[in-house]
Amino acid sequence: MRAAALSAVLDAFSAPYMQRALVEVALLAVLAGTLGTWIVLRRLAFFTHSIGTAAFPGLVVAGPWGIAPQLGALGAALGFAAARERLARSGRSDPDVATGLLLVAALALGAVLASDVYPSGAGVDRLLFGTLIGLTPGDLALTAAATAAVLVVDAAGRRSWLATGFDAGSAPALGVRSAAADRFLLLAVAAAVVVALDAVGALLVVVVLVVPAATVRLLANDLRALRLGTAGLALAEGVAAIWLADGLDLGPGPVLGVLGGAVFALVALLRGARG
Amino acid sequence: MSAVGAEGLAGGYRAGTDALWDVSFSAGPGEVVAVLAPNGGGKSTLLRALLGELPYRRGTVELAGAAAYVPQTERARLDFPLGALDVALMGAYARTPWYRRLARADRAAAAAALERVGLAERAGERFGALSGGQRQRVLIARALVQDAPVLLLDEPLSGVDAASAESIEALFGELRAEGRTLLVATHDVCQARAWDQVLCLNGGQVAYGPPAQALSSEVLQRTYGAELVLLGEGGAAVSVSHHGHAH
Repeated sequence: MRAAALSAVLDAFSAPYMQRALVEVALLAVLAGTLGTWIVLRRLAFFTHSIGTAAFPGLVVAGPWGIAPQLGALGAALGFAAARERLARSGRSDPDVATGLLLVAALALGAVLASDVYPSGAGVDRLLFGTLIGLTPGDLALTAAATAAVLVVDAAGRRSWLATGFDAGSAPALGVRSAAADRFLLLAVAAAVVVALDAVGALLVVVVLVVPAATVRLLANDLRALRLGTAGLALAEGVAAIWLADGLDLGPGPVLGVLGGAVFALVALLRGARG
Repeated sequence: MSAVGAEGLAGGYRAGTDALWDVSFSAGPGEVVAVLAPNGGGKSTLLRALLGELPYRRGTVELAGAAAYVPQTERARLDFPLGALDVALMGAYARTPWYRRLARADRAAAAAALERVGLAERAGERFGALSGGQRQRVLIARALVQDAPVLLLDEPLSGVDAASAESIEALFGELRAEGRTLLVATHDVCQARAWDQVLCLNGGQVAYGPPAQALSSEVLQRTYGAELVLLGEGGAAVSVSHHGHAH
C-alpha cells in the first residue's frame, strides 16, 4: 500500500517539466532560506511584494518588444525602486506610502498595457501567478545564477545586515557600512524577485520569499535555525504544491499560495494556543 | 596626552540648527568622564559627534584610536534572533574581512568579555529575553571585544537593576586601571562625583573639570535649570527631576 503510494508520487515527478519544476523549487528554497530570512528580519516584506508587482508592466511589454521577460521585469523593478527611493528621500511622503502609491500605479499600468495596448489574453494569468510547470532550462539557469550571486552577496553582507537590523544607530561604530550593505540587500531582493517571477508570477513572489521565513520566524530563536528551517519549509511547500497542482489540475502558484498561507496560519494558531 | 577631546565642537542633525556648541575638553588615559546634561541637552549628540556620525559638525575632535560605543539598550531590536554571545561577537566585525569567518580567538574574546560582565552562563540566551541590566552588560561586553582605548557609553546605568549597576561600576574601575578612557553619559550627579572629570552640557558646555570644582550648585543650576532640586545645606545634595525619577 505504502509502496504503491510512493510509486504514484514518484511517477508524478517523472515527466521532464515536473523535474524542472522540482529543480526550480529547490533553487527558490535556497533563495528563501538566504534572503527570505533577511526580508523578514529587516521588515522588507512589503518592499518585496511591491518589487514583484512593479515588474508586471515590464513583463507585459517584454514579449511585444522582443526582450527577455526577466530583463523587462528587472528594468521595471529597478525603475520602481529608484522612484520609491527618490520619493522617500524627498521627505514629502512616508516610504510605505510611496511604495503603496507606486505599487498601485505599476499594477494599473500593467493591466492597461495587457488589456488595451498589447492584448495578452490568458497570458496575463501566467504573468501574475507564474507557471512553475512551464519552465525552460534557460529559466532554471537564470535562477541558478541568481542564487549563486545571492549566496555571495549574503556572505559579504550578512554581518552588516545583522548589525544594522539589530541597532542601526550603533552599527557604524562597529565598523559596519550600513548604507552600502543595505543597497546590496535591496538589489539582491530585486534579483531574487525577478528570477522567481517565471515560477510564481508578479503577485505571488512573497509566497516563496516571505511566507516560509515568516512561518519559521514564529518558532526559531536563532539565525541558523531560521535560515535552515525556512529553506526546508520552502522546499517542502514547493514540492507539495507541484504534486497537488498536477494531481488536481490547478495552477501551482496559487496552490503554493494557499498552502503557504495555511501552514502559516496553523503554526500561528498552534503557537498562540501554546501561549 | 589626550585620549579623547574636542576643541570648539559644535553641530547638529540639520544644517543651521546646532544641537551642541562650544564644547572643549580633554581627557587622558585612565580617566572616567561623566557627561551630565538634561534631556535633550546634548549627551547623545556629543557621543555621535565624537564618533564622527553627526551629519553637521564643526570644530575638532581628538581620539586615540577608534572608540567603542555602548548605546542605550532600548534602541536594539529585542525580537532579533540573537544570543548574548552573538551580540558580543559584533565587537569583532570591524577587524574581520567580509570573506572570512569570525576567528576562533574572537569567539574566545567574546566569551571572556561576557564572563567579565558576569554573564558567562547566559551566553546562549536570547538578547531580548535578558533583563535590561543584563542587556546593558552584553552591550558593554561587545565594546570590550572591540578592545578600544576609548569607550563612549550612553547612559549605561539608567534603569538597570542593582546587581548590574554594581557589576558595571566595578568594571569601570578595572577599565580605568587598564588605562582606558571612559566617557559616560549619565543623569546621576552623585555618581559623577566619584569619577575623575565632569562635563556639564546644556546644549553648550557649562563646565568641565574635576567634580569638586565643576559641580557647584551654580553649574548644576545652569545645566539642569528647572529640573534641578537642591537639597540640604548649601545645596550639598541634588535631585534631578527627570522622567518621574529622582537621583
